Amino acid sequence: MAGRVITITSGKGGVGKTTATANIGVALARRGKRVACLDADIGLRNLDVVLGLENRIVYDLVDVVEGRARLRQALIKDKRLPDLCLLPAAQTRDKTAVKEAQMLKLVEDLKKDFDFILVDSPAGIEVGFKNAIAPADEVIIVTTPEVSAVRDADRIIGLVEAAEKPAPRLIINRLRPAMVKRGDMLDTKDVLEVLAVELIGIVPEDEGIITSTNKGQPAAFDDRSPAGGAFTRIGQRLLGEDVPFMVFDDSSGLFDRVSKFLKR
Amino acid sequence: MTPISFKGTREGIHISLGDQPWREIMDELGQQLVRPGAQSFFRGARVQLDTGARLLGVTELEELIALMAQHQMTLTSVIGEAETQDAFIKLRSALPAPPEILPAPPAEAEPPATDATALLIHRTIRSGQLIRHAGTIVVIGDVNPGAEVIAEKDILVWGKLRGVVHAGASGDASAMVGALYLAPTQLRIGSSIARAPDEKRAPVWSAEIARIRDGQIVVEPWNAA
Repeated sequence: MAGRVITITSGKGGVGKTTATANIGVALARRGKRVACLDADIGLRNLDVVLGLENRIVYDLVDVVEGRARLRQALIKDKRLPDLCLLPAAQTRDKTAVKEAQMLKLVEDLKKDFDFILVDSPAGIEVGFKNAIAPADEVIIVTTPEVSAVRDADRIIGLVEAAEKPAPRLIINRLRPAMVKRGDMLDTKDVLEVLAVELIGIVPEDEGIITSTNKGQPAAFDDRSPAGGAFTRIGQRLLGEDVPFMVFDDSSGLFDRVSKFLKR
Repeated sequence: MTPISFKGTREGIHISLGDQPWREIMDELGQQLVRPGAQSFFRGARVQLDTGARLLGVTELEELIALMAQHQMTLTSVIGEAETQDAFIKLRSALPAPPEILPAPPAEAEPPATDATALLIHRTIRSGQLIRHAGTIVVIGDVNPGAEVIAEKDILVWGKLRGVVHAGASGDASAMVGALYLAPTQLRIGSSIARAPDEKRAPVWSAEIARIRDGQIVVEPWNAA
């Protein structure tokens, strides 16, 4: 059996790659899939913190690549979901510590034991990004509805295409319906008009994400969280389910959970 | 691994470099060029080079150009990353014209039409991508913000033009830019520069062309042209 390798990337930093990786991982694992989250952001690791697994790290990705630990030793099982594992990045090294071939080999090994391998890419377009994209079967681009983030996402899509990967899919993160309504924020249509790729999820701005990130408890565990719900639906779409896109209506001050089909 | 590929086009030969290590590419290219029967295909050809995501420096391009020159081939355009393009531009201005092995045309002949043909690009040009060509460029797709298209003749975009374009890049003020949706970040023709108005204009889908009239860049509907 061979798992699906999905790389989550963005170009611009701070748009929510790591949050997306953690939450999609949780969403898939809650559906009984075996998921390995791989932190490719060597030297600036975060995924362990967001998943609340920081204090369990003994070995990391670089230890595995350099032969100091076996893959199984470095993988950290999630305390809440036995199907979810994390392969943390090294914090004391940098991106040059891993070569593309080593990354491919590592992911190839993980594919034997997992249904999904989610690779959390570093920001940027340099070697770290290239390592993260090399093993990908699928690519998910995260952007926020800001011109700068969309510009970088466009650049990344070009690079993904040049690497001859299948057309990437898009998550629009931190959308603020009230601002869109006032015309102060790009809406989904504006973003898709530039990027022209398939949308796989829209995640509303949600203060709860900050709390959940700080606590190491991804929002996708909480069925009442608006952002967590959006990530859960992204997980379902990855599993091939046809889930309607939410229309976030801010008229009541809350996100009206009226689901309408958003015809694209 | 993607190997090198060759495609004969009306404009010449399109070579995609593939993703093998550089030495292997040069070796394979060298072999391909001397294969029996290859001489007639390659000899005197104008080459469009597609470097994909690979970054080529001045040294590598020089090596490539030298190899092509041995077969009387000329590199006319490069499609690829900005770094590679920069190296190409540096070489084009620094190097003498390709060695003249073919007899020079008689003086009264028409000016050489070598670089006047069009480059057709059938995809969206995304942020960070740069297309440069010695003739006209036709894009079927969008030119996104952050992308650049530079032609020595006209630029036509069958789609949304929102990046930076420069028509008549070698100083040709008669060049024009046309698009189905003309909203470039910056538009240059010859040595004139125009930029998008600071206030946002309601997006309209109507083919427009920009050209120079009385020393100014003027945008008008296509049908008025």
